Amino acid sequence: MGLALVVPGLVLLVAACGSSGSGSNSSSNNSAPAVNLKHPGGSITVAVAYPSPPPALLQQFTKQTGVKVRWVNVGWDDLQSKIVAASTAHSYFADVTDVDWSKTGEYYKLHWFYPLNRYFAISTLSGQMPQLSSFVDNGQLVGIPMDASFMVSTMNTKQFTHAGVTKAPTTIAQYTADLQKLKSSGVNPHPLNIPLQAQEGLSTYWYETTAAFGGHVLTAQHKAAFTSPSSPGYKALAWIVHAYKSGLVPPGNINMADVASLTSNMAHGMTASSLSEYSGDLATIYDIPSNSSVVGQVKYVSTPTASGAPAPNLGNPDGVGIPRTAHNVAGAVAFIKWLDKPSNQALWAGANGGKDAITGFPLPAQKNATAILASSLHGKSGIGDLSQLLRDSQPVFQNGAPPWYSQFSNAVYTNVHAAAAGQESVKAAISAIAQVVNQNAP
Amino acid sequence: MRSQRQRLAYILLAPLALFIGALTLYPTAVTTVEAFFREYSLVNNHNFVGLKNFHDAFSTPAIRQSFVNTGIYVLSGTVLSVVLGIAFALLLRQRSRWRAPLLALVVLPWALPPVVEALLWSRIYDPTFGPLNGVLKSIGLISHNQVWLGSNRWEALVLIELVQVWQTTPLCVLLILAALQLIPSELYEAGAVDGASAWHGFRYITLPLLRPGITIAMVAAITASLNIFDQPYILTGDASASASVGVQTYLVSFQNLNFGEGYALSLIMTLATAAISLLVLRLVYRRVEF
Repeated sequence: MGLALVVPGLVLLVAACGSSGSGSNSSSNNSAPAVNLKHPGGSITVAVAYPSPPPALLQQFTKQTGVKVRWVNVGWDDLQSKIVAASTAHSYFADVTDVDWSKTGEYYKLHWFYPLNRYFAISTLSGQMPQLSSFVDNGQLVGIPMDASFMVSTMNTKQFTHAGVTKAPTTIAQYTADLQKLKSSGVNPHPLNIPLQAQEGLSTYWYETTAAFGGHVLTAQHKAAFTSPSSPGYKALAWIVHAYKSGLVPPGNINMADVASLTSNMAHGMTASSLSEYSGDLATIYDIPSNSSVVGQVKYVSTPTASGAPAPNLGNPDGVGIPRTAHNVAGAVAFIKWLDKPSNQALWAGANGGKDAITGFPLPAQKNATAILASSLHGKSGIGDLSQLLRDSQPVFQNGAPPWYSQFSNAVYTNVHAAAAGQESVKAAISAIAQVVNQNAP
Repeated sequence: MRSQRQRLAYILLAPLALFIGALTLYPTAVTTVEAFFREYSLVNNHNFVGLKNFHDAFSTPAIRQSFVNTGIYVLSGTVLSVVLGIAFALLLRQRSRWRAPLLALVVLPWALPPVVEALLWSRIYDPTFGPLNGVLKSIGLISHNQVWLGSNRWEALVLIELVQVWQTTPLCVLLILAALQLIPSELYEAGAVDGASAWHGFRYITLPLLRPGITIAMVAAITASLNIFDQPYILTGDASASASVGVQTYLVSFQNLNFGEGYALSLIMTLATAAISLLVLRLVYRRVEF
């Protein structure tokens, strides 16, 4: 019965391994151990949601440090479950693993990861890593950015031009009108891409759409900022639902997750624009002939906004951290330093073409690496636009993600999905999401 | 001599008993206890809270809905799997050269991992490229592509259940076929001499004598349906309209980090599985002797 038995089984297993269940806040010692970074040696397991770089590059690292690397690529959602199960049961599973931007608050509160301040200086890194603040909670560095993913808007310029739209819209009203034009002219019956399946990708779409309407979903104190019908969050949700119901979005998108909608719809011209998707998609999806039938047609554009002023592009970077159950902390620190080296970061993002790239890697975490990448790509795949957009990118939450983010996100995507599917009204969806915030907010 | 044999039997059974004890009984006992304690990972306390976790779980509309959904999956899944199981078993009882390949074909869905099956069916239901739309259009039942999952709750429940039945039926077929082959042919011959029709033979000989096999098949189908997870999770994601209790238990525990509620839900499902299985045993099972 596969996963059917795995779920209660996992709950039971966690019960068996960590009978106090949470294990939260159990560690009184928050400091990370002193390590010898000159010759760390040993071996480490790296569990991340990215495929491995070429073995030759990993061997270079082993030669430099004596640390052998076992790279395990686990799907993002499965990896989060693995981190929760292993951390709750206080069992080892990796020396380096994923710290998503949205988990910073949660991990800070739970003390599942070593604070990295001892090995990395925030003051030095913050100048080079624009999204570092997403991994800092109360001055504690929970993880180090591995990439510089942020949300961007895209347009299939060929289809828009074909429908008579030659200028990228700057306002939401104009954007909606242009999409209607694509639809009514018959160029594309369902031009707008919104992944409406009840998954994390839908939450991030709402955050970016809220930013386009001129606000944030939560206040700096993590209170609900979307309950008033005049608030950007409310308007954004209503816009998403209306876009689906009015036929701008393909009907099948109601059960389509983010990556699937990009690789099957956008990459094959079935949709013409996405208000929110991920930086790097041009280089890793649309401009790769084997994956796409719209090579050279899709461009990054400034996210249209309610006011017409530029919208902030919200960051959703993946980072890496060291779980408290790690066996080789010295090796893990040496590896993170190597992973984030600007020259290596540029390679992961495709500076050397596909040869040394990590598939799906969006943009380097370091500015220096972005500069190397830009000069290598000679302005192709929208790299210039991305560098500009990255400069203006902002965190989704002004003071970092709340520790109860997972619960919040679950409420967001299930209710936005239900509202789009007609199973509840926009008002009811807003109210259900707000209820989760009110239960958890301090 | 006898006591020595008994001792040997206990010694041989001991590793298995230890294994079961460590992996089943101990976690179940811990879960039972922890269900009554505060176990929200973000809150630093571990106090006895009585029935609070159960109360909180049932206060959540999505969880209440998941119980209704699971009830629907159990009812429809059990009835359909067992009825189809009897039908296929009767067909496969006939001796023919097609029996072996047919049996292999029927068993195939059961042999595949549920995740693979759910992924396979997600392709079949795909609104753009899925063959279901193509077939229905070609026979004129629909005029344009339909979105099968996500837009209508009842449609999603039916289609998810269809996948579940597709997977559970082969096990029911095997269990019922095994019971069917135990029925002596003389009983049918005697019935025929007394003028019993095929229907009478099925109604008064086959069905009563199949009760042990049907009971086991029902228990297997009930257990599978009560714990359904892969199919709703893969076909409709975390959407609460079609989520089962298994999906909600996963979300509550591993996403919301509320293990107290997760333990409570797991305990409810364990008790429900045991209670319903016992009820079925009591109502359906009859000892049969030939």
